[in-house]
Amino acid sequence: MSVLAKYRYVFLTGLQSSLVYRWNFAARSAFSLVHLSFVFILWGAAYRGQTDIGGFNLAQTLTYFLAMLVIQFFISAQNEDYQIGEDIRNGMINQFLLKPIDYYSYRLTLFFSARLVTGALALLPIMLAYPLFSDTLSLPSDPWRLLYGAPALLLSALIQFSIAYIFGLLAFWFLEIQSFIILSLAIETVLGGQMFPLDLLPGWAFRLSQFLPYYYQMYFPTAILTGRLDQTQATEGLLVQLVWLGILYGIGRLLWTRGLRRHTAVGG
Amino acid sequence: MPLIGYIRLWLACIRYSAVRALMFRFDFIMWALVELFWMAVNLLMVSVIYSHTSEIGGWTRPQMLLLLGTSMLTQRLLMGFFWSNLFEMGRNIRSGTFDFFLAQPGNPLFMVSTRKFDLDSMSNVIVAGGLVIYAVHELGLQPGLSDIALYVLAVLCGLAIHYSVLLLTASLTFWTIGSQGLEGGYFTLTEFSRLPREVFKGVANVVFVWILPAVVVSNVPARALLHGFKPTLFAWLLGSALLWLFIAVSVFKRGLKRYASASS
Repeated sequence: MSVLAKYRYVFLTGLQSSLVYRWNFAARSAFSLVHLSFVFILWGAAYRGQTDIGGFNLAQTLTYFLAMLVIQFFISAQNEDYQIGEDIRNGMINQFLLKPIDYYSYRLTLFFSARLVTGALALLPIMLAYPLFSDTLSLPSDPWRLLYGAPALLLSALIQFSIAYIFGLLAFWFLEIQSFIILSLAIETVLGGQMFPLDLLPGWAFRLSQFLPYYYQMYFPTAILTGRLDQTQATEGLLVQLVWLGILYGIGRLLWTRGLRRHTAVGG
Repeated sequence: MPLIGYIRLWLACIRYSAVRALMFRFDFIMWALVELFWMAVNLLMVSVIYSHTSEIGGWTRPQMLLLLGTSMLTQRLLMGFFWSNLFEMGRNIRSGTFDFFLAQPGNPLFMVSTRKFDLDSMSNVIVAGGLVIYAVHELGLQPGLSDIALYVLAVLCGLAIHYSVLLLTASLTFWTIGSQGLEGGYFTLTEFSRLPREVFKGVANVVFVWILPAVVVSNVPARALLHGFKPTLFAWLLGSALLWLFIAVSVFKRGLKRYASASS
């Protein structure tokens, strides 16, 4: 069987198993719309009495949060870390050690199929609610933003997955990894720009955040597409993003080989 | 069982849970850190917004910190005393382990709600309390003993409302099989309790201030410290606490009648 055909089957199986959870995903996107109304109320109140925060008007800021919400459903890792941890704990990975399939590529393929489903399902309620807030948005139309945004999105998805993969592999060393995952989620939420656009941080802190991987998880592609970064910053960012992906991929591979040495194949 | 019996039982559960938590020290530290980090996330968001604006809905930065601290305090108390109990109730109803609670010689709702106690959340109650004290100090407020007593009472009413909402969602498991995602709903709803009432306009005002008890739980206690005791606001808080508790307990009781166990 050719490599491509092998992973094509994984992808199709992944699509099917994600569709089983369509109601869970639909509920999650409904909650995220409620969260979006929290964001709109909070920032709407912060803008009262002024038209400009950090060089952006209210419409631009709300667009940022909406874009981030949509992008999140397409690229962010959701419970991949947990699933990988469970695979290790239950001994499910044993079968991958015996078959000609690479666990990283297998999981990555499943990740892409799941994001296709969650992304498509999340778009539905947002498109239905769109007329409610369409006139409060403002999206820039420079063509270069799409040109840079597309690879940035793909690299962000890969970074998200690689971080989740690393956390999942911690299950080789620790019995319970859920606390690590939620702890890191708190850091990712702030430094990924989900609580506030990172450019509102003091200059030095914003600069510092650009050298951390979290910046490239969510903020970077969102900021390119919604007009918060210029072309020079985007070019520099893409390079740093590529470097981080390399580093994270390397760590993932290292942990996998190290972890397998400790692995004692429980169950099966 | 007389009241004193229930109190002694609860204290015994608390002692047992605390000892257990200290046996798994690494886990305890990690989970305490998790909550601490999430509180820091919210604090950071408030700080960043206030570095660009001087007020939100007429509330200054220290006033907002008082509101945030109050909201966190209530939430940590809920986490410490009730969260894992009610969360597991849903799971137990599905699996049939719930029988075990019915077989115990006491009120089932009490048995279900008090079995576990989370020491890590309780350690963060101190942090949230610290934030409230810091904000009070920043504002130059000098609350008397009666103000503090009223504030504590208001926070406890808020806790009763949070408990009711959680019990209500957990009780839905009697009717539906899957209720994952409902906790997500709880967290989404409590986000709104970190906002001052003044920012809610139109539909949001109707939904989050009047229909759902999202805003009243934090705003009334915080206001009591800021502007002193207002009988109408207190009546509103106490009234919602009683109403929501009544609804939640009724739904729980109805569900209990419907419960038919599950084969193993």
